[in-house]
Amino acid sequence: MNQFIFGFLLLIFLALPPVAYLLESIMIVHMHMQMPLLVIAGFLMAIFFQNKFPQFFENWNHNGIPGILLFSIIMIYWMIPRAMDDALTFQTVELFKYISLPFLAGVPLRDSWQKISSKMKNAVIMIFTMIFFAMGWLYIKWPEQLCNNYLIIEQVTLGWGFLTMGVCMTIYLVYNGLVDPTAYERE
Amino acid sequence: MESAARNISFKEKANKALGIVPEDAIISKSYLFVSFIALLVGGVLGLLQGLNRAGLLELPLWFNYYQVLTAHGILLILVFTAFFTIGYFYAVLSHTLDGLLPKVRKMAWIGFGLKIFGFVLAVIPIIMNEASVMFTFYPPLAAHPVFYIGLVFIVVGVWMCAFGSFIQVANWRKRNKGEHVPILSYFATGVFVLLFFGSVPVAIEVFMIIPWALGWVETINVMLSRTLFWAFGHTLVNIWYLTAISAWYVVVPKVIGGRRFSDTLTRLVIIMLVVLNIPGGFHHQIVDPGITESVKFLHVFMSLAIGFPSLMTAYAMFSVFEKTAKKKGGKGVFAWFKKLPWGDVRFLAPMIAMIAFIPGGAGGIAQSTNQLNQVAHNTMWVVGHFHLTLGTTAVLTFFGISYWLVPFISKRVLTPAINKLGVIQTIFWTVGMIFMAGAMHWVGLLGSPRRTSYTTYSDHATALGWDPYLFFLAIGGTLLMIGIIIQVYAVIHLMFFAPKGETEFPIAEVEENATKTPYWTERWGVIIVIMLLVIAMGYVIPLVEMIVNAPPGSPPYSPW
Repeated sequence: MNQFIFGFLLLIFLALPPVAYLLESIMIVHMHMQMPLLVIAGFLMAIFFQNKFPQFFENWNHNGIPGILLFSIIMIYWMIPRAMDDALTFQTVELFKYISLPFLAGVPLRDSWQKISSKMKNAVIMIFTMIFFAMGWLYIKWPEQLCNNYLIIEQVTLGWGFLTMGVCMTIYLVYNGLVDPTAYERE
Repeated sequence: MESAARNISFKEKANKALGIVPEDAIISKSYLFVSFIALLVGGVLGLLQGLNRAGLLELPLWFNYYQVLTAHGILLILVFTAFFTIGYFYAVLSHTLDGLLPKVRKMAWIGFGLKIFGFVLAVIPIIMNEASVMFTFYPPLAAHPVFYIGLVFIVVGVWMCAFGSFIQVANWRKRNKGEHVPILSYFATGVFVLLFFGSVPVAIEVFMIIPWALGWVETINVMLSRTLFWAFGHTLVNIWYLTAISAWYVVVPKVIGGRRFSDTLTRLVIIMLVVLNIPGGFHHQIVDPGITESVKFLHVFMSLAIGFPSLMTAYAMFSVFEKTAKKKGGKGVFAWFKKLPWGDVRFLAPMIAMIAFIPGGAGGIAQSTNQLNQVAHNTMWVVGHFHLTLGTTAVLTFFGISYWLVPFISKRVLTPAINKLGVIQTIFWTVGMIFMAGAMHWVGLLGSPRRTSYTTYSDHATALGWDPYLFFLAIGGTLLMIGIIIQVYAVIHLMFFAPKGETEFPIAEVEENATKTPYWTERWGVIIVIMLLVIAMGYVIPLVEMIVNAPPGSPPYSPW
């Protein structure tokens, strides 16, 4: 229950106008800090929904695949440059951001992550790594503004943010592939 | 459980009977010897500066203030602390992980050789007055290229030691499946992870500087170099801090006859310091242009986040003190303080170090605030601040460690006479630092700049008003010099002349009813990936801005 309260408070905090304004004023912070924080808020709150509606999750997400699919769709949607412009222009889209990221990405992520196999987990990370490299390349190389609301320099910065995160995830995958936990840990 | 208890007691007995492996002892002894010689030389140079700043001593042209300042910084900030940290943690790795592997021993020696060689290379241009660039050595000041080449060797030497420790820890874990790395070796892992990843940016900086100093490229990006330097510089600060708190959490409770605070919390503090640390470097650049205000504002969070594990540490320490003192019959809200072993230098020195961190840490938080930083930036306040944090909190803890570590590795004992000398030393250090760091803080607020040879600015009234404080600075510096002489004498005595015998390596046990530490704390691979993500979070925005929108670079300046 504590986790739910922390998640809820985080969501409220992120929704405060000055906080939202500050985070949305920098492109990379908008996409790589505010959005993940919204997902984390949902991730923390998930426990409440899991306890309240166990049957729902059992019926619709019993092997974790639908949840992770929903999570991926929502995440990829919010990587589209146009989506950020929309969120800044239309209050309804902004509202959708504050609902979709915590409840349609954060909640299913938590429910699915426990259910899917480690191979599946690595596959998800691998797919996101590839997308991140591709997005990084796009945002760095594209010669024009992809978002009306942000300057080219912010776009390039976001591109490098994608690339560095892609590198981090690659390092994790390599570590995961090379280091055999059974050599260090007891079964 | 029973067998585990038996194993521990067997290991303890074996350690007691055999002590440290002689080959490992020589490594630590060599590192500590170099460290304390650096302290002595660096201390003398510090005194010269203090006397100069008070207007009591004019330094000759062939050995000027800025040369002395550069050498003082390099000797104490790089050599003294790095050699102490590595010597101490290699003794830890040897003691708690069943002796160093032959390969690791070799790496420690290669690292030692590389660092000494690099250091000699760096010192030659300083002595020749070709490298008065201060210990921060960032552009546009340019030293002789040999100075930077020396730095490269030092960094590679440090990496050698870092990888040696990783190999040692990984090997131990393979032999002790599913067990937690002993807490002091866990601290060592954290420190070496920071040493490696923290020195990567400075290595990049140095490789940018070398072609520029050689004249192969005309200009350099000053902002970028400064940023890369501080990514390392601030990490170094927390390496000292992490080294010091390893003794606070593990050694001090044993010395006072208590048990250590929660194992989980201790490991969490280490993880947090490792993860959050490197982007903290930005608070050294609060008045730098070229970083937008909103980014600076976001970075305040990063800087203050490092304060959080420190507050956890403060709570843990005083909780251990109170619990132990009350077990010994201490009473009241504060009266139990009397039950602590104030006459034991192994406690007194780190205790004063901890107390010094209260004003030291508070001053640090004050400086991270944009407006206050504008008042204190580049004034003597900053010098006072790091003489309180590094010069007292870290260094007094190192001194406290030396009184049991040096006899331990030398198979000698700490005699009551040397203990008494240590207590006297600690008093000299404390009083000296109160005068010196206190005066520095105050005169800094009055506007006296740092890194400036003595001048009255044509007898300007404001500058003349600094003189009384600068006089206190010199008095403090003189007391500290006496402290250094006593300390180096004690170390040499304990290393070579004290009576032979066995000294215990003090490691406190956890409480009997302690909860089990979660195993995820051992997954350093994941911790390091999180750390890299946090670094990316901190650095991508400003670095892209600095590189893409770079102003014309700066040619090298050597104003000496």
